[in-house]
Amino acid sequence: MTPSSFKQELLKKWVLGLQSCGSMAKEMSFLERKNAIKLSADIAMASARGGKTRWSRAVISSASKRDDSKLLVRNILGNEFERLMKASVGTPSCNKRFMSKKILRMSRGLRRLRRSTARRRVQASSIAKRMVQRRTQVLKSLVPGGESMDGFSLIEETLDYILSLRAQVDVMRCLADASERLKSK
Amino acid sequence: MERISCFDSRSEGCKDDKQEMAEDSFEFGDGILMTENLLQEATVPGSSFTALLGLPANQAMELLQDPLSGKPQTVIAPEMWRDSRSGQEDMRYTFNCSPTFPTDAALVERASKFSVFAAAQNSTDKCPVPSNSNENSLKPKSEPADSESNPSSCLVSSDPATPSENQASTKRKEREKKVKVPAKRSKNVENESSKAGEAKDGEKLPYVHVRARRGQATDSHSLAERARREKINARMKLLQELVPGCSKISGTALVLDEIINHVQSLQRQVEFLSMRLAAVTPRIDFSLDSFFAAESGCVTPSSCPSTVTFEPLMWQQQQNQPLWEGDVLQRQMWERDDSHSFLAPENFLFSYNSANSVPLSSNHLKMEL
Repeated sequence: MTPSSFKQELLKKWVLGLQSCGSMAKEMSFLERKNAIKLSADIAMASARGGKTRWSRAVISSASKRDDSKLLVRNILGNEFERLMKASVGTPSCNKRFMSKKILRMSRGLRRLRRSTARRRVQASSIAKRMVQRRTQVLKSLVPGGESMDGFSLIEETLDYILSLRAQVDVMRCLADASERLKSK
Repeated sequence: MERISCFDSRSEGCKDDKQEMAEDSFEFGDGILMTENLLQEATVPGSSFTALLGLPANQAMELLQDPLSGKPQTVIAPEMWRDSRSGQEDMRYTFNCSPTFPTDAALVERASKFSVFAAAQNSTDKCPVPSNSNENSLKPKSEPADSESNPSSCLVSSDPATPSENQASTKRKEREKKVKVPAKRSKNVENESSKAGEAKDGEKLPYVHVRARRGQATDSHSLAERARREKINARMKLLQELVPGCSKISGTALVLDEIINHVQSLQRQVEFLSMRLAAVTPRIDFSLDSFFAAESGCVTPSSCPSTVTFEPLMWQQQQNQPLWEGDVLQRQMWERDDSHSFLAPENFLFSYNSANSVPLSSNHLKMEL
């Protein structure tokens, strides 16, 4: 998928979403408008990416769970695709995997704690490890759906997510610039 | 997490190799092309290796300067974003030693198969010779890669290859890998003899460690670990090149810092842009008709180099001159109430935007994403 085709897809879906938003509620406060715009943009970005990446699936699934964005998702995606998304994200399996990893991680942490209290010497490697771990945690919280990813897929997803974010920013900036220019005229 | 622990062990093991790694990352593109060709020719690892050892210095310096002078935004286009056209151009670019990150992704995959990295230079006079064969050999390879739009499928393809890829190791280690890909490997990160397969017991070379012996026993584990670590490092390299200002940084934690900052800044930008849009429009569907109508009137003539790539796209989808007339556009949009009508305004919008906004230049779009 080329960047320009992605942007076109994104814009198409975004405009779709915005129009459906506009038809839903005529009077909106500034904040509501902003949130609707942002939401449509995010869902459009995720759906333009398709169901191939985990973050896009996570965005769409989380949006379809929320009441206020359910309709928007349906409008943007079209019903078939939305059902596919729901089917592909196996929630119970995800949770199980996530929980088991959490348990492993906690047990490992405990073991390390015990070992480190035994030896007073602080190793540089452990410090580096902890640093990297903390940062991966932060990254996981940033990338949608990142909690249940292992190191490698996290990097893959981050890569894709950064690219899509850039495209989204480009499209939004163009639209914003153009509309501001229009308004000033 | 075990994956993350791999980072750490790597970073501590390769601290002294960081410099090399930084330089190596720049000479990656060119080096790989030449290495591939040479490896295809040479069967005796010793001779080709010594031949390859020829040129780290000058080429490295040359390559070092190029990426430094290059745009920070010319960024990698990983597998999913590539299109064949840019891929081919980039092949040629790499040969002219310019920092074309878009090929690096393809080259990572290729290079991993051949696994020579720092030692990847030949003498300068050989440079033009392998160029043709390289281009030819790489172009067909780029096609299947280009057709992959799925990161996971790329992941699969790189899996068998990455075990042999090592970006921060010494040259000897790489040579050993290249020779002994199917063979056992020792666990050492810093020092591996060229004949590590035989020298598992540590006879041949002075600095093969005791660990070599243990490596025999836990070989599958070490192999798997090494494979995983290298996969992760390859991807980290891609990420480093993607995020501006990250390629100079050494150390996983700092790189991750930069990545996090970048993602956060992008998300913040989205937030601010949506605020701007919300401020501009009184209604959410922000009067698209008047928007496009007005746009038709004020398309500036200053535009056009960047519209070149867009226009073929546009005209392919919709060959109508009336795109440029607001009234017709308006009618198109509101009378035909199907999704097809969205194409016209969007295409128009894209042409307008690409005309007026510098970031959306064609090169930028091809290579940025």
